[in-house]
Amino acid sequence: MATVTNWIDHLSASEVQGAIYPGVGTEGILVLILFVIWIGWHVIAAKQESSEHAKLARRRPGSNDWKSNVTDG
Amino acid sequence: MTDELGALTTIFTEFYYWITVVLMFLIHVGFCMYEVGASRYKHHQHTLMKNTMLIPLVTVTWFLFGWWIYWAFPTGPGLAPSIMNESAALITDESLFSAKWYLPNSDLMAVNLGDHISGVFWAAFLLFSWTAASIVSGAVIERITTFAFGILAIAIGSVFWSIDAAWGWHFDGWMLKLLGYHDAYASGVIHAIAGGFALGILIVLGPRIGKFSSSGEPRNIGPRNPWLVTIGLFLIYTGFWGFYAACNIPIFNLGPEYGMEGVTYFTATNIYVTPTTLSGITMNFLMSLSGGLLAGYVIAKGDPFWTYSSGLAGVICASAGNDLYHPIQSLIIAMIGVVIAYKMHYWVERKFKIDDAVGAVAVHGYAGFAGLVICGFVLNGYPSSGYSVGAMWDGTTYAAINPLGMFIGALIMFFVLGMFPGWIIAKVLHGMGKLRIPREVELAGLDYDIMEAAKDDEKAVASASR
Repeated sequence: MATVTNWIDHLSASEVQGAIYPGVGTEGILVLILFVIWIGWHVIAAKQESSEHAKLARRRPGSNDWKSNVTDG
Repeated sequence: MTDELGALTTIFTEFYYWITVVLMFLIHVGFCMYEVGASRYKHHQHTLMKNTMLIPLVTVTWFLFGWWIYWAFPTGPGLAPSIMNESAALITDESLFSAKWYLPNSDLMAVNLGDHISGVFWAAFLLFSWTAASIVSGAVIERITTFAFGILAIAIGSVFWSIDAAWGWHFDGWMLKLLGYHDAYASGVIHAIAGGFALGILIVLGPRIGKFSSSGEPRNIGPRNPWLVTIGLFLIYTGFWGFYAACNIPIFNLGPEYGMEGVTYFTATNIYVTPTTLSGITMNFLMSLSGGLLAGYVIAKGDPFWTYSSGLAGVICASAGNDLYHPIQSLIIAMIGVVIAYKMHYWVERKFKIDDAVGAVAVHGYAGFAGLVICGFVLNGYPSSGYSVGAMWDGTTYAAINPLGMFIGALIMFFVLGMFPGWIIAKVLHGMGKLRIPREVELAGLDYDIMEAAKDDEKAVASASR
């Protein structure tokens, strides 16, 4: 996984390799993982939000009821 | 890097952009405080979370495709040839500034010893993206779902602003060549587009419950915490310094860049690689801020909410030409922009029943639009680029700045890339039933459950004896 194992060898090469992160060459897989995380987040967060709203809508609290929930410390 | 002077220039530039990113972070802090201060107590936490979550969403999508769009689209595609490869296709070839290097799987999109600039430049543009999305966020508070806002934030932050920047905020952009478009500090490419996008959403989203009486008269739902609004806007002003700096290239040798034989001329430039000075734009920033505040105080009769917002609107209106204006011109243009934004806000509110909760469409959209139009007159005849000077509609050379081109540019920013896409996406989300929160939730308050849980926690703790 390590792209660099010796800085002296790396920097004294006739052409210094720029990319120094672990796993050079696996960028495509990393992008795929990021894509899944991104879309997955929307799906999960949207479900959570819908369920939260549906639950609260069923209870129908009045527009001033929140005032009795104000805490003071 | 083996040449010391070259290394110093590169690392200075790298550090310069890094500082601008840190400063611009304050814009987002300011927007969050401002929105919470403007929202009602029962919606505070959700309002804050909505604006906060645009940070990761826009960042991830900017990494995946937003940055690539900026480098791929300067030609339209199909509208004007690139000066790099003389093709009007998407710029995805092997040329130096090709989008190819900014695909998410490119090795330049990471720690790379051969490239000290791409990452900080990526980040500077990303912070502009957050700003564009955050402008929209304020307008739609207290009734939009977080899901819908996330989709809309990605659309404006990682797609439409990126396209407009490629078209009109890039040294190779087709709008410079065909129209003579000039927008040094983003009156249009950030503010007019984001204001237009917000307006498109608001048309579909509708007003907050209670905003209009049964006879259609608007009611004031003023800021609930004016002090938080004040600090928020001051932070936005502060972050705007970083924004102005980030719009410049700090040091550039224009002689060889323009092909002038034997000429060496180091200067700061704007994004179009035409010369300006950090010194001059600092004066213009402060004078336009002052013009905005002076006009806002008078027109709003001392109302703090509008006075602070007018400072921002003033800077936004003068921004298109603040790389070249005289400071007094900046001040006057800012004052004109504020009057237009303020009057337009209330006219649109009454006429079309648009509930823009924080005045974002006015401060960013109308002031930005006006700034572009005014810039066309004041900078009429200046070259839009240093590379070649030609006529409007030519396309192979760069047109000079002119009133008609800037007016068309303003229409493109506000309507074509702003309002219409915002309206269409909001319509789709509305059709899916995902745009607006249920009426019962809006009345009860988005934070009702959180507050109830906090009250139960408090009771439990207060009654505990050990």
